[in-house]
Amino acid sequence: MMAKSDNTVTRSVQTFGDYAYFIADLFTATLRHGVSWRSVIEEAHKIGIRSLPILLIINLFVGSNLTILGFHAFTPLGGQRLVGLFVALAGVRELAPIIAASMVAAKAGTQMASQIAVMRIQEQIDALEVMAVNPHAHLIAPRMLGILLVMPALTLIAIFATVFSGYVVSVYQLGLNGTVYLEFAADGITAMDFVYCVVKAWVFGIIICTLSCWFGFNCKSGPEGVGLATNRAVVSSAVVCVVVNYFISEVLYGSL
Amino acid sequence: MQLATPVLDIFSVFGRFAMFTGQVIIRIFSRPIFTQATLNHLAITCQRCVGPVIAVNLPFGSVLSLQGLQIFEMFGAQRLLSSLVSVAILREIAPVMASVIVAAQGGSSCAAELGAMRIKEELDATEIMAVDSLRLHVVPRVVALTIACPLLYIVGALAALIGSYLTAIFVEGEASGVFLYNLWTLTEHRDLWAGILKTSVFGGVIGLIASYQGFRATGGAAGVGRAVNETVVYSVLVFITLNYFLTSALYGAP
Repeated sequence: MMAKSDNTVTRSVQTFGDYAYFIADLFTATLRHGVSWRSVIEEAHKIGIRSLPILLIINLFVGSNLTILGFHAFTPLGGQRLVGLFVALAGVRELAPIIAASMVAAKAGTQMASQIAVMRIQEQIDALEVMAVNPHAHLIAPRMLGILLVMPALTLIAIFATVFSGYVVSVYQLGLNGTVYLEFAADGITAMDFVYCVVKAWVFGIIICTLSCWFGFNCKSGPEGVGLATNRAVVSSAVVCVVVNYFISEVLYGSL
Repeated sequence: MQLATPVLDIFSVFGRFAMFTGQVIIRIFSRPIFTQATLNHLAITCQRCVGPVIAVNLPFGSVLSLQGLQIFEMFGAQRLLSSLVSVAILREIAPVMASVIVAAQGGSSCAAELGAMRIKEELDATEIMAVDSLRLHVVPRVVALTIACPLLYIVGALAALIGSYLTAIFVEGEASGVFLYNLWTLTEHRDLWAGILKTSVFGGVIGLIASYQGFRATGGAAGVGRAVNETVVYSVLVFITLNYFLTSALYGAP
């Protein structure tokens, strides 16, 4: 790696180039060295099981808040029946995928970053290289394939949690008609929405995994280095996911 | 501890956290108060978080008006877009997204700093010098996060409104005058106050969880990573749960 320049612009271009080079190297190393499928399944299991409880709880509460918000927003317009449509559209198209991605970044992404950062500062990664094992193919490729396997499933679970808690809140807390809620919710969602959600889930999975592993790989020495790498991993993956989400939505749903 | 069953573990974690919270709260309201340290932490937290908060809220506002237009086009009621977008942003989107970023950036760096201090025995050194490490290191961070979170909420809400305006006018081609005229028709003053109240509660919760995790970090560099991870996860979990109850208390009655 080149020495970092003092100029901010040059430095950010260098950082971006480092990141792009990292991704390119990840792909070539994976193709050349292959991946052990057993570790892919292990990583998928770990990422999925670790993120599932928090993802469920958060999406339940996001759905209930969305329902209360929709109820109050539509009451002055006399359209309380629209709550189901509102929860289905806002929850399924936007909030469930992005909240699921943030939770995976917070739970699995930070864990990836801190594990790899600890390996880096304890010189385990150098040891792998000495033994002619490619660290990208050995450490990152299983995590990447694992996250790609579980992200769509987690996103679909998040969607059902959001719509379900919207149903519970609108029937039992706000006293609306459950059948009307479900009819309007079903009107709002099409089969293509689920396909788009899977596409978003894969893109977010790639972003979370590459950014977290990259910050872990470039960790500075000492305990502060590990903390800093973990911190940067979660913030940057959340920011990049939300920004990319806008462009995906604009392409898929917008009138551009 | 003899009876280390999972249930007892959970209760002892709650008990320790409650005692930690009590100790911090007593120190917040008693002398000596380290005003300069608090202001420094406030400045650092705001400086670190303001970029990510804007970067997350601006696209979120854009997506809101993008998807809102899809709904309102079904009924031919595009003029209602801005009034509903502003309600959604002020009540839910901006408080939650600003607090998520404060947890991910401010809370996790607070846990990382305190965890590294604990691992390198700096906290023990301050205790040995008869300096109260809770008062010196924890209280300023908790107070700074409690104040920073509402400030960042206001910045985030403005960014989200700007994002939704830009998308509605320049991308989707709605009329600018209609958007601005309807912007504040459904919002009330209490929406802003409720948002500020909610975010200051969230900020305090984030600060307490982050400093608790950092303060109790063990096991070298890996322990710091674990503390940061658990800070982000638990603080998001707790404030989203609190958000539901606060929203229900403020707006929930049908």
